[in-house]
Formats: sequence, C-alpha cells, structure tokens
Amino acid sequence: MRANDAICGLVLILLAAVMIALAASLPEFPGQKYGPALFPRILASGLIMCGGLLIWRGLATRAPGSAWVAWAPWTSDRWRLGSFALMLAMLLLYIVVSETVGFIPLGVFFLLGLFLWFRVRPLSAVIVAVIATLTIHWFFATLLRVPLPRGWLNTIL
Amino acid sequence: MDAIILAASLIFDLKVVGVIVAASAFGMFVGAMPGLTATMATALLVPITFFMDPVPALGAIVAATTMAIFAGDIPAAMLRIPGTPASAAYTDESYAMSKKGELDLNMGVNLVFSVLGGLIGVAILILAAPALAEAAINFSSFEYFWLALLGLTCAVFMSSEHPLKGITALLFGLSINTIGIDPAAGFPRFTFGSVELLQGISFIPAMIGMFALSELLRGAVTVDHQGAVIAQKIGNIFTGIYAVFKKYWFNFLRGSTIGVVIGALPGAGADIAAWISFAVSKRFSKTPEKFGTGHVEGIVDATSANNSALGAAWIPALVFGIPGDSITAIVIGVLYMKGMNPGPTVFLQNPQFIYAVFLIFILANLLMLPLGWAAIKASKQILRVPRNMLLPIILMFCVVGAYAMTNSPYGIIVMLVLGVIGWLMEEHGFPIAPAILGLVLGEMLEQNFMTSMIKADGSLLGFFERPIAACLGVATVLIWAAMIWRSFRPKSGIIPGLDQPGT
Repeated sequence: MRANDAICGLVLILLAAVMIALAASLPEFPGQKYGPALFPRILASGLIMCGGLLIWRGLATRAPGSAWVAWAPWTSDRWRLGSFALMLAMLLLYIVVSETVGFIPLGVFFLLGLFLWFRVRPLSAVIVAVIATLTIHWFFATLLRVPLPRGWLNTIL
Repeated sequence: MDAIILAASLIFDLKVVGVIVAASAFGMFVGAMPGLTATMATALLVPITFFMDPVPALGAIVAATTMAIFAGDIPAAMLRIPGTPASAAYTDESYAMSKKGELDLNMGVNLVFSVLGGLIGVAILILAAPALAEAAINFSSFEYFWLALLGLTCAVFMSSEHPLKGITALLFGLSINTIGIDPAAGFPRFTFGSVELLQGISFIPAMIGMFALSELLRGAVTVDHQGAVIAQKIGNIFTGIYAVFKKYWFNFLRGSTIGVVIGALPGAGADIAAWISFAVSKRFSKTPEKFGTGHVEGIVDATSANNSALGAAWIPALVFGIPGDSITAIVIGVLYMKGMNPGPTVFLQNPQFIYAVFLIFILANLLMLPLGWAAIKASKQILRVPRNMLLPIILMFCVVGAYAMTNSPYGIIVMLVLGVIGWLMEEHGFPIAPAILGLVLGEMLEQNFMTSMIKADGSLLGFFERPIAACLGVATVLIWAAMIWRSFRPKSGIIPGLDQPGT
C-alpha cells in the first residue's frame, strides 16, 4: 500500500495540530520562560512544515488521473491479505485475552492458527505448536522468571 | 592495566563464554535466514539480556550481530537473496560467482574478509574511543545539544535519498519521545491520564515493533517464497584466499576504512557501508567491466566494510551515547538499563566494562572463523527451515519479549502500534533509522536544549560561544545547508538501494 505523498503530508499536519492543541494545556512555570510545551511546539511546527512540503511534492509529481492510494499486488490475493490480517488479529487477540486464558493455551492456539493458515501440514502444525509454546514458556517463565500469564492453568502450574 | 585484567576475568568465565557461543549460533541463524536482520536479532535478544549481568548481556549482542552480518552473505550467494540488508550491495555479484562454480571461493572470501574487516573495526574502536572520551569529559550542555543534533542530522543525511522524508521520520520519532514525563520540568505530557504512558513509550518494545514486527508483516505475505538453494557441493572454502588477499589487499584496507568512517557516523550502519564501498570499488577498479559477472574484487571491499562498520558504530555510542547505527541504538537502551550510562564518564567509572566490550569484539571475530565455516557447511539445512513455521514462532517470541520488558500487555500494545507504523513508513519510503534515533536521542536532545536555553537566557548566540560547541554547531548547520541544496537538485542516485530497510 502506498498513498500519495500529499496524503501522508495531510496526516502529519493533522497529527501536529493535535500536538499543538494538547501542548496548549501544559502549564507554564512562573519565573521560567521555557516550559514543557516548548519542545513539542518546535517539533509540531517542523512536522507542519514537512507536511506542507510533502503535500506540495505529492501534488506536483502526481500524474493526472492516477490513484491516490496504490495497492501492492499481494493485496488482491485473498490468502495473502488474510495472512497479513491474521498476524495482526492474533496479536490483538493475545493482548485482549492473554490475562484470562493464560500463555500456554493461548500460545498453542496462536501458533496453530497461523501454522494452519500458512499451510503447514496439520500433524506437524500441532506438534510444533505444542513444543514451541512449551519451550518458550520454559525459557521465559522458568529460566528468566518472566511472569507469563497463567490464566486457565493457574491451579496446575 | 588492572581494568584490562578485570575485564578478561569477567569474560573468560564459563557462563559468559557459553552465552557468547550460544548468541553467536543464534546470530548465524538469524543472519542466514532471509528476512531476519541483524537489528532484529538484537531486538529479540534484548528481553533475554535484560536478565543477565552487563558483560554477558553486551557479549551476547556483540557476538550475535557480528555473526549475523557475515551470515547474511550465505543466502546471498546461494539463493540470490541477502540474509541481511548489509549483504544486499553484492548479492548479485556473489550469486554470479556461485553460478560460475566459484561458490567455495566466494564463501571463503566472505568469511575471511569479514573476520579481517571486523578486526580492523575493533582496532579503531579500541584506539579512538578512549581518546575521544578524554576530550569529551569537558563537554557541557551546549556541546551535547549540538552532538545530539549532529547525530540526528547525519542520520537523516545518510539514511535516505529523500532528505524530506528522513527529516519527517526524525521529527516523528522525536515527537513520540515527548510522550511521558518531560525531562526538564518533570511534568507529564500527552499521557491522557494513563499511568503506563507516564514512563514514556517503552523503548525496547518499540524497537521490536519497528524492526521485527514490521519485517514479519512483510514476510507474512510472501511466506510461500522459499527460494531454491543452488545445487553445488561445498568443498574447501579456504583454497585460493591467500591469492585473493595478495591481489586485493588494498581493496580490503579501503573497504575497511570506508566501513569504519560510515559506521562511526550516526545513523548509517553496515548496509550503507557496503553499498558505498562497493560503488567506490567499481569506480576505481582497473577492470570495472568485470563487475556484475561474478568478480571477487567488489566483494572484498564490501564484505570487509560491513563488518568493520559494526565495531566502529560503537565509538559514538560508548563515548557520547549517540548510536552509530540502529544496532547500537538498541545497545544504548541496554546500557541505560544496566545502569552504565554511556558517555565519557563510563570510561572513568567502569573501564572494565569498556575493555570487556573490546575483548568480546575480538573474541567474536575470531570465533567467526570456525562458526562461520560450520554455518557454511550446514547452510543447505539452515536455508531449508520452512518459513511458514519460522514466522509464527518469531512472532510469538516478539510478543513474549515485548511483554517481558514491561511485565504487562502494555509492551505488546507498544510493539503492535509501532510495528504497524514502521510497516506503513517503509511502504511509503520513510526511513526507519531516523525515527528510532529520534526516539533514543530525544530525551538527551531536549534536556540539553532546555538547559542550554535557560543558561543562555534564550539567546541562540550562546549556543556558539564555546569553541567546540561552535565547531559542532557550524558543522550541523553546514550539513543542513547541504541537504537543502541537494533536495533542490535533480536526483543523482549514485548509491542505489539507500532507501531499503536498515540493517
């Protein structure tokens, strides 16, 4: 996916505007000329300048009639699009449910789902998903003492 | 002298050597797998090194990156796919050599000259860093402000053919860094009442996102492209190396020198060093017409350059706390976590750690010879590891690594958001290295800027009053002027590939 530079510029300007608006609420300290708002303001002004130049360049180099957003060839292939979306979806799922479900069951599901989508043979997918999850759990939770969420297995572990 | 002995005793410990060897094997594997980069190896190692003492932690990173930069040459020669971007400059040349039946010679040259180039980089690091640290001890906030700005400027200047996009990426990185408690007054900014945002954007999850997750997202859509390994038996890779050295010793020295200079410049690392030294080699070659037909000359230059850049990147990182490339950007984060704040004082307070880094570098480069040989021998098996299994496992590793840095899903959220942003940036031709440097150096830049503004009472002339500050300031202004001048000229495109993702 590649949007025209003008669109990037517009997004940056909006972002910078939000920064300036938020920085306005930061306090000034009596007797001190330079407060916490100064640096964000400088950066936001810079971003607005860059955004403006990007818009100018994007409009100048745009061939008449060409698309504002160019999609890479893989985006028209459903399976590849699904691969991309599934990676992000699995991460979101992990963030939302990991504390309740726990690392081990969720980890196996996470790997198994991706393996099967990526067309790993089912038997190898199951074996590798279980072994990899247990290895990562052993490495981080046992060896490095990272408190990976226990979730459903709380009573067993 | 005592510090050197102490450093040696810190390293030649069974556990530390074990960590170094394990990290080396990890680095070899990551480097040899197309799509997994040396920076990614570092980002994935950090959550693990978090739980180690400083010396094994640094040892693991040094060893893994040294190996990864060399190992990137293996798939370049066998699959025509660079294992890391640092090998991209001479991938076609290497592959052409393999097709001519010179795979053995190519692998040997890559291995031996990587080791030698790496050793040159370390030698310069050992000579230059303590001397610079001595000079840096008198620096005030003005000098540090200019140094940070100069570092960021170089990053923009070096990392992109479009300075505008580089500057935008830099400003974006600096802006992200303003989230959290402001370094001058201690007031929370842009936290929206969230306790977790108070600590700022966690640096390591951000790195894992921008360097690892964005790469995995790109890999996910090409997961079925495994590539066909060239069918050639690997014999004795060391045959004929001496003849190459005798003929091209000057190329080796020139490549290593270019590597050292580019590595030491902030923001540009091994990949750019390889591109430039390869271009220089072709430009000054007596037989430029042979380039592209499987000619070893340019490979000698470039493979020496990318390994020497690796060591040199540590010079500004250790002395000023300004990263020389994206790997040392992560290293600086690690140094802070270990309580050894990079800067000239670390040379006085903890010289044993600095010497330990030097020794590990030497050790890692020497270890590269046997381990590299083993990796070349096993390369066909390594390159056959199915990508459709590897990718999900690395993704899981990223998740757990990001989680381990904050012990809460916050780390994973940071990784996810910045990973998607990093992916979008690369899709649109915005280089990632300046953004990361902005994130790393933002606090230092702002703190020194605010202190200097208060000291100089808002007068910008105050920033030029001290002699070294004035020199640094003028240099910075000149580079900006050059950049503005360049952006108004038609594109020259001397160095192809500079817009590619970083090391």
